[in-house]
Amino acid sequence: MFHWLEKNPFFFAVGIFVVIAYAGVITILPDFMNSARPVVGTKPYTVLQLAGRHVYIKDSCNACHSQLIRPFKSETDRYGMYSLSGEYAYDRPFLWGSKRTGPDLMRVGNYRTTDWHEHHMLDPASVVPGSIMPHYKHMFSNEADIETAYAEALTVKKVFNTPYDEAGMPKLGTFDESKKIVLAEAKAIVDDMKSPEVKEAFAKGKIKEIVAIIAYLNSLK
Amino acid sequence: MEMETIRELQAYGYAFASVFFALILYGYVYHLYTSKKKGGTDYEKYSNMALNDGLDDTPIEKIEPLQEEKQMRSNK
Amino acid sequence: MQSSNMINYDYSVAKLFTIATIVFGIVGMTIGVLIAFQMAYPELNNLAGEYGTFGRLRPLHTDTVIFGFILSGVWATWYYIGQRVLKVSMAESPFLMILGKLHFWLYILGVVAVVVTLFMGITTSKEYAEFEWPIDIAIVIVWVIWGMSIFGLIGIRREKTLYISVWYYIATFLGVAMLYLFNNMEVPTYLVTGLGDWWHSVSMYAGTNDAMVQWWYGHNAVAFVFTVPIIAMIYYFLPKESGQPIFSYKLSLLSFWGLMFVYLWAGGHHLLYSTVPDWVQTMGSIFSVVLILPSWGSAINMLLTMKGEWQQLKENPLIKFMVLASTFYMFSTLEGPIQAIKSVNALAHFTDWIPGHVHDGTLGWVGFMIIAALLHMAPRMYKREIYSKKLLELQFWLQTTGIVLYFSSMWIAGITQGMMWRATDQYGNLAYSFIDTVTVLHPYYTIRGVGGLFYLVGFFMFAYNFYKTMTASKVIGEEPQSTSPMAA
Repeated sequence: MFHWLEKNPFFFAVGIFVVIAYAGVITILPDFMNSARPVVGTKPYTVLQLAGRHVYIKDSCNACHSQLIRPFKSETDRYGMYSLSGEYAYDRPFLWGSKRTGPDLMRVGNYRTTDWHEHHMLDPASVVPGSIMPHYKHMFSNEADIETAYAEALTVKKVFNTPYDEAGMPKLGTFDESKKIVLAEAKAIVDDMKSPEVKEAFAKGKIKEIVAIIAYLNSLK
Repeated sequence: MEMETIRELQAYGYAFASVFFALILYGYVYHLYTSKKKGGTDYEKYSNMALNDGLDDTPIEKIEPLQEEKQMRSNK
Repeated sequence: MQSSNMINYDYSVAKLFTIATIVFGIVGMTIGVLIAFQMAYPELNNLAGEYGTFGRLRPLHTDTVIFGFILSGVWATWYYIGQRVLKVSMAESPFLMILGKLHFWLYILGVVAVVVTLFMGITTSKEYAEFEWPIDIAIVIVWVIWGMSIFGLIGIRREKTLYISVWYYIATFLGVAMLYLFNNMEVPTYLVTGLGDWWHSVSMYAGTNDAMVQWWYGHNAVAFVFTVPIIAMIYYFLPKESGQPIFSYKLSLLSFWGLMFVYLWAGGHHLLYSTVPDWVQTMGSIFSVVLILPSWGSAINMLLTMKGEWQQLKENPLIKFMVLASTFYMFSTLEGPIQAIKSVNALAHFTDWIPGHVHDGTLGWVGFMIIAALLHMAPRMYKREIYSKKLLELQFWLQTTGIVLYFSSMWIAGITQGMMWRATDQYGNLAYSFIDTVTVLHPYYTIRGVGGLFYLVGFFMFAYNFYKTMTASKVIGEEPQSTSPMAA
């Protein structure tokens, strides 16, 4: 039987595939069905926060920052309560990261403010002496892509039944309705900021990337 | 299905497949190392496939091309 | 067969992929050295506005090296080894020739799309799977074409039994295909809503599930690219270059299955659930260890192949590269499981020890093996001797020093960082603020950058040597049976 298999590439390939696939099914699938349900109080991101999350991904913040607090005292002392599976229920994709060149950001919203982020993104070393993080001045001139963020929110609502528009959850509505909500949310952040460039743009109804990413970072709690 | 049951099935699936694959693997080891004695294949000869790999070298075990392929090849 | 006297092996596709390997190697490693120095000297982030920051460049580095350099190397060697061990020329089948060329050009198109989108910041953020859905589709097409070309060549072979290297190429094809497909399940948002960027998509999996699938892919698929096809190479090139048959062909066969099990089965013991009877659990654990044992066979087999022939190590730089490669293979397969031990992982996770581990494997094992493979192929593809042995020797020592600097500095950096994160004072408060654990690493980041630079300079020397071999070296008459001819 073995010798026959060595000369029949097709069945040989089937053999390899079965071995690989079986292992995958056994190791992955059951945990999958256990797909964690959201922890009480976990809400999907608002459209502005999602747009900020896209900025976070666009500049690969996750290449240097984790969003996963492990259940060790040294980590909970530094970053707060350890992460629960259910807290990530609306994260598509997950942003745990794999390297902590900078600190964890899972609960950064608890201890940093809009003002802090604004200065930090312009010149990290002025806020944290010795920081090796690059500045992100381009976030003050690039515009956030609200339309794509809305498209994503609507997609997850339709395809994965993410509870937008339900009682106590973020409201989505039509794109026009959503834009109004986004502007109101952005206003609260722009008011706390100093950059004249961002303020001027906002007066014309434009939202810069920096506003969106601060909205996202403030939502991480 | 209850998560308990799934977990249990998973554990059985894992344990028994480990045994099954191990048996096959070591059966294969047994086959490899006894094959020559039993008058079957001498596996070591296959290492010559890398050493004598010119187009003109004789294959270790030759495949006869199908009739039409033979014709196609001789047309060249 | 008389007719076969008139045809020769056709290396045109292998040559194309060889050039691609060298070009992508240079690009990927140059970006790597730049981002290594960015960690020591952050001003280097400002060279090209938003397009030059560490965040944008890091995926470009990993993807260019993995999918550019390594995959091109895998395909260059496949289109070389495949024909030879199956004893059939691609020139015998116009269909396979067209397929091979299509494979190459579509792939190049895909790489260009990847480079452009990653610079623009279009990414799904999943490591080594950053590409958005249109590129994913292109990748699947390229992969399917490769599969057709593998099985097409096998279909017209003259040698009935498949050589061990072919097994490994088949496994690479199947393993990566499955892992890639599952990890990249995503919903294009424009198709659902008609709004926003058309290339944007959202992952089918959320949160913890997404992480699970990603790292099932991240470790296994990358391991499939870093290990399986590279073993395919060493099983052909080391015996061929040294003129020695594999020490034990039988061992090579069974360690193949050992490896198939190790990647997909290892770590599975944590699945054993407590409500299952003890004896089932014990049996499961014991047998999973038994399964994984033979996977070490390959490295041992390679070293034993050189038994009684160690003088070649001194005389032939290609043997030097390959023997050191298999040593690094053993080294990093030992380091991996150590990092997987729970208490070690608690310290090492998220630190620089992890990139350190990856680079032992990629620089030492993968890089050296691909370099040796291309150099072995060169005299046979271009009918010229290798241009300079002296340059090759220098390259070897420079790159080896580079690797040692790289992994030793990252070990120290990783462990220092891990220890400082958890250090407490006498009252149990954290002893260091986060920034303390960053600034302390500056010397190690510098050393790492220098190590990477050494390796890169060595790679440029290789590229130069290779170019000269192609164009200016002495023409040889007959194809060498084993040792590759080279000028002093």
